[in-house]
Amino acid sequence: MKPIYIFSSGRLTRRQHTLFLETEEGKRPIPIQQVSEIYAFGELELNKRLLEFLTQHRVPMHFFNRYGYYVGTYYPREFLSSGHLTLKQAEHYLNPQLRLDLARRFVRGALWNLVRVLAYYARRDAELEAPIRTIEDLQEAVMETNSIPELMALEGNAREVYYHAWEHILPDSFTLTTRTRRPPTTPANALVSFLNSLLYTATLAQIYQTHLDPRIGYLHETNYRRHTLNLDVAEVFKPTYVDRLIFRLVNRKQLSQKHFLKEGGGVFLNDAGRKTVLKEWEDFLQSTYKHPKLGRHVSWRTTLRLELYKLEKHLLGDRPYEPFKHRG
Amino acid sequence: MYVIMAYDVNVERVVKVLHTGRRYLTWVQNSVLEGELTPALFERLKADIAKIIDPNQDAVRFYVIKRTACFEKEFLGHSKNEPGQIL
Repeated sequence: MKPIYIFSSGRLTRRQHTLFLETEEGKRPIPIQQVSEIYAFGELELNKRLLEFLTQHRVPMHFFNRYGYYVGTYYPREFLSSGHLTLKQAEHYLNPQLRLDLARRFVRGALWNLVRVLAYYARRDAELEAPIRTIEDLQEAVMETNSIPELMALEGNAREVYYHAWEHILPDSFTLTTRTRRPPTTPANALVSFLNSLLYTATLAQIYQTHLDPRIGYLHETNYRRHTLNLDVAEVFKPTYVDRLIFRLVNRKQLSQKHFLKEGGGVFLNDAGRKTVLKEWEDFLQSTYKHPKLGRHVSWRTTLRLELYKLEKHLLGDRPYEPFKHRG
Repeated sequence: MYVIMAYDVNVERVVKVLHTGRRYLTWVQNSVLEGELTPALFERLKADIAKIIDPNQDAVRFYVIKRTACFEKEFLGHSKNEPGQIL
C-alpha cells in the first residue's frame, strides 16, 4: 500500500473495480489494492462514482493547485471512529490545563529536533553553536509559558533563529533569512512550503488509520474549517523530515535555480522540481531503521503512525506523550 | 514482496483474470502483471483468481521475489505500463 502522485492531466475513473487514469497518452490502469492515498497535482476530472470507490477502499485524496499549494482533502467517511477517544480528545482541548500540557509537549519535541538537526552541522561549522544555545534556552522556557499564544510565539522565535542559521548550512542562493508564505518569495521558502504541506498531508493520511479525529488540534487552534491535529504532530517532525531533506537536496545539487519559477510575486517549484522533491520524499518515507523499542525495522512513514498511537495513549491516560526525538 | 503473475487461461476467462489481477498488480504486458504486495494482499489475490479459473484448463503462475536486492529487470522493445508511484 503506497500513495500515488498524479501529475498528468486527464480523467481518473473507476473501471472494472480498479482505478484508471485516462490521459492523452492513453489509459493506464492503477491497482487500487496497492493505493493508500492519492495526491493530485495535475488537472484531474473525476466523478462521484470515483469518490464512492475511494471511500470503499478508504483512500483519502489530497488536492494541490498549480502552484503546489495544498487545496484540500477528500477524506472518506471515518471507519475507525471511537466515541470514547473522541470525547477524550475533546476533553483535552476544552480543559485549559490538559490542552496547555499537550501543546507544550509538541513544542518541546519540535525544539528538541531543531537542536539535533543543527547539532549535526555544528560539528563542521562552529558558528552554529550560538543559535543552538538560544534554542536550548527557549526550550527551557517552554515550561514557563502559561498560554497557547505565548507558546506559539516562543516557537516562532526559535524558528526564526533556526532559519537564520541556515546560511551556515546551505549555499547563498538557498539561504532563508525571512520565512515568507502566501506566496513564498525565495526558492528556500518555496521548498519549505511545499514540503511542509506534504508532511501535513502524510500525517493526515496516517491519522485516518487511527481512531483520532484530525479536526481537534491542541497547539493549533481548532476552528470551523480545517484539520489541525496533523499540524500539531507535523511540528515535531518538520526538522527531521522536511529540513534535512532540503539540506540534502540542495547540497547534493539535485535542485538548482532552474527548478523554480517566478509567478505572481512568488517563487514556486516547477513540475520537474516537484517531481525531484517528491521522489526523494517518498524514498525517505519508505526507508527503514531499526526501532530501539520495538526491536524491528520500521519506516519513517510508520514512525508518524507510532507517534499517533503514543498520542492516543496519552489521551486515554495510559502513558504521557513523549514526542519523537531525532537521534544523531 | 515482489510478485510477477503470468497466466494462460481459456479465452472465456481471460478478461476476468486480467480485471481481477489489475486490481492488485500493474499490468505490464499481455498476460503478465507485476508489483509489490504485502503477504496478505497476495493471499487475497490468489483467492480471487482461484474463484475464476478452471483448474483443469487454466494455468496461473506467480513468481515471488522475497528480497528484491538481487532482482533485475531488463527490457527489449516497447513497454506498455510500468509500476510507479509518480504518474
